[in-house]
Amino acid sequence: MQTLIQTFIDRRGDLLTALWQHLGISLASLVIAMVIAIPLAIWVVRRPRWAEGLLQLTSVLQTIPSLALLGLLIPLVGIGTVPAVIALVIYALLPIFQSTYLGISEIDASIEEAADAFGMSRMRKLFKVELPIALPQIIAGIRTALVLIIGTATLAALIGAGGLGTFIMLGIDRNDTSLLLIGAISSALLAILLSALVRWFQTAKPSHALIVFVGILALLGGGGAYSVYANRVETITIAGKLGSEPEILINMYKQLIEAEDEHVHVTLKPNFGKTTFLFSALKNNQVDIYPEFTGSVLETLGKGNNPAGQTANQTYQLAKQRLAKQEQMTYLKPMQYNNTYALAVTKKFQQEHHLKTISDLTQVESILKPGMTLEFIDRNDGLKGIKKTYGLNVTAKSMEPALRYEAISKGKINLVDAYATDSELRQYHLALLKDNKHFFPTYQGAPLMKTSFANKHPKAVKALNKLAGKISETDMQEMNYEVNVKKQSASTVAHRYLVKHGLLKEGR
Amino acid sequence: MTTAIEFQHVQKDFNGQTVIPDLNLTIDQGELFVLVGTSGSGKTTSLKMINCLEPLTAGKILVNGTDTTTIPVRSLRWQMGYVLQQIALFPTMTVAQNIAVIPEMKGTAKKEINQTIDELLAEVGLDPKEYRDRMPSELSGGEQQRIGILRAIAAQPDIVLMDEPFSALDPISRQQLQDLVLRLHARYHNTIVFVTHDMNEALKLGDRIGVMQHGQLIQVDTPAALAQHPVNDFVRNFFGASRAKNVYDVYVGRVGLIQGYLTEKPSVASGRIQSLDVQATLRTAFTALTDHDYVAVTEENRVVGYLDSQRIVAYLSQYEEVS
Repeated sequence: MQTLIQTFIDRRGDLLTALWQHLGISLASLVIAMVIAIPLAIWVVRRPRWAEGLLQLTSVLQTIPSLALLGLLIPLVGIGTVPAVIALVIYALLPIFQSTYLGISEIDASIEEAADAFGMSRMRKLFKVELPIALPQIIAGIRTALVLIIGTATLAALIGAGGLGTFIMLGIDRNDTSLLLIGAISSALLAILLSALVRWFQTAKPSHALIVFVGILALLGGGGAYSVYANRVETITIAGKLGSEPEILINMYKQLIEAEDEHVHVTLKPNFGKTTFLFSALKNNQVDIYPEFTGSVLETLGKGNNPAGQTANQTYQLAKQRLAKQEQMTYLKPMQYNNTYALAVTKKFQQEHHLKTISDLTQVESILKPGMTLEFIDRNDGLKGIKKTYGLNVTAKSMEPALRYEAISKGKINLVDAYATDSELRQYHLALLKDNKHFFPTYQGAPLMKTSFANKHPKAVKALNKLAGKISETDMQEMNYEVNVKKQSASTVAHRYLVKHGLLKEGR
Repeated sequence: MTTAIEFQHVQKDFNGQTVIPDLNLTIDQGELFVLVGTSGSGKTTSLKMINCLEPLTAGKILVNGTDTTTIPVRSLRWQMGYVLQQIALFPTMTVAQNIAVIPEMKGTAKKEINQTIDELLAEVGLDPKEYRDRMPSELSGGEQQRIGILRAIAAQPDIVLMDEPFSALDPISRQQLQDLVLRLHARYHNTIVFVTHDMNEALKLGDRIGVMQHGQLIQVDTPAALAQHPVNDFVRNFFGASRAKNVYDVYVGRVGLIQGYLTEKPSVASGRIQSLDVQATLRTAFTALTDHDYVAVTEENRVVGYLDSQRIVAYLSQYEEVS
């Protein structure tokens, strides 16, 4: 509880921004969904065959998993707020459409007849008779849609639209329950609050309701206009994968670039999902730069055979050539540390069974309970290859990266995959097993961007090259530890490193 | 007398089946005309063709001499009140708003509308202060239909169409509302077309009655003519079936209709004459005749005619052997 309050106080600025983004996305989606669904429902009330078809369609749209929908939208509209709003609108259509349609079509036939018999025009009948009668049902539909939207909008964080989902994603990734709770509770409170507001709209005097509604619109519109205005300076967008390490790196990128070129504003999109997701965002110009590992390029991105037993430099050169040739991308020089995959056990387990290398694992094969990330289990340079190379026969449970450390410290599992720079290795007293058959390829981080971008921004390239050959594995472990466990901000940690190593002047 | 509504060779088909083959009917201005018939006889359809809720298959209907299809449908409907069996007050509007529906559309001044609402409410015995702002759901069935009638007449239409307006009400409310219709008709002299399946209601309300069967008008006549000279067995039986099961419960007005009244006031001391409402039963009449010579039958405190014991005995002996 103490930590929850402390985190809340530390993060209240971020929370307010996230809350604002969340509210903006949600309300914009709701209003758009209403503007589409309500007139459409009114139009089909007299056309039952259309109504049937549209009900089916909206139901089908709602069954698409939200993550899949976001994924589908990226090649079409890119990342950020637009695809998030589109996805939310699609989810909100069904409840609003259905409630409006049913609300009006279930009105007693005799009341419709009375309205006709008194010579009401179509519009007058709609606004004086049908909509008022159907209103409670329509409002109920809008409230359902609203709660649905606010809940689903937490996923917007995955595609760079921000919102309260940022807290939840960070909380899961850093194994920080306080962050997770703050995100989840705020989102629930927001849903309850707005739902009550919508209900108030139903009973409030029309004039009051109108004032509040216009007020909210003006507030959001003002926010939107301001952000457009603020974006007029040249903006470079840098994204990073989920986790503290990419976040520290992109903060370094930002500070270095902004120090080099005063006319550039760098926008950061941390915790931006996984490898292929980011890569396609880069391809679609939604992101300008992101840090990528040499090993990942060879394994997941470029096409071609990967010769085994390459040195670090050979791996980088191969990756650089492939990216330049196949994707017209520029891959700058890598940093020093090798954040390769590794297998880890607890120090206690290591001593009990005298484990030093991965080969030693075959002796204790029967009692191994591995818990690994889905990505690691599925990769050729991950568990699949390990099993083949070392003749190890195990089946791993798939787990979110952050959860598997928790699980191993509680004894639920006893073998995990890890990155060589993970702060948790230190935090949970884990020991790495030596890759004695040199199976894992090298994973050195380096900035990746389109070649066209690199040509247009020589200053940025120059700034980023300052990091080449810098940062050791211990440096990185330490910085990760400071962010993940000591709860320091990635920007502070990045700044401290840059200043300490003379890459940036003090007190920017 | 001028004609308010005229059916000329009207035909109506539903899904290729002719339900009304050839309807011809003239309704005079200021008349309270009742269409009576069993269910499925086409009476409600005939009514709804007047305000174009049902389109005609062939023929035409003239309202005040003009073919209804040549008038914009909304302005046609604005000249006609309409009262529904289901009452169908707009549930989200107050009593006052319901009554104001048509005057508002016609653009009547707000002040004038408000005044009309108060007058009308008072006229049907509902205190305006208390009832204006009530919602329909807070009213009894009888009260709701009073508002239904007021909604129909608020804009003072020449013609009011009523589609079995009281058939869903309890007997007491029904009688009160029938009296209300008679009173309002006497006051506003509008043309009323009233549809019912209840012969008693028809006899009580109608200046003239049209009996319908299988989409055809069998007989159009005054209540007395209908009672005394039914054109066929259908009309006779329809009329007969409306008689009370127990002969003592037959109301005196019915005896007058069938036997005819003595129209001259009998030359006896007024103490020898007992006044009875048309709705009073024969049982009451017999009691009255034990110490009076005549019964004066009244409707709304107006004497309709006189009956003596001979007439009543004649009714009992020769008429209405109920099957």
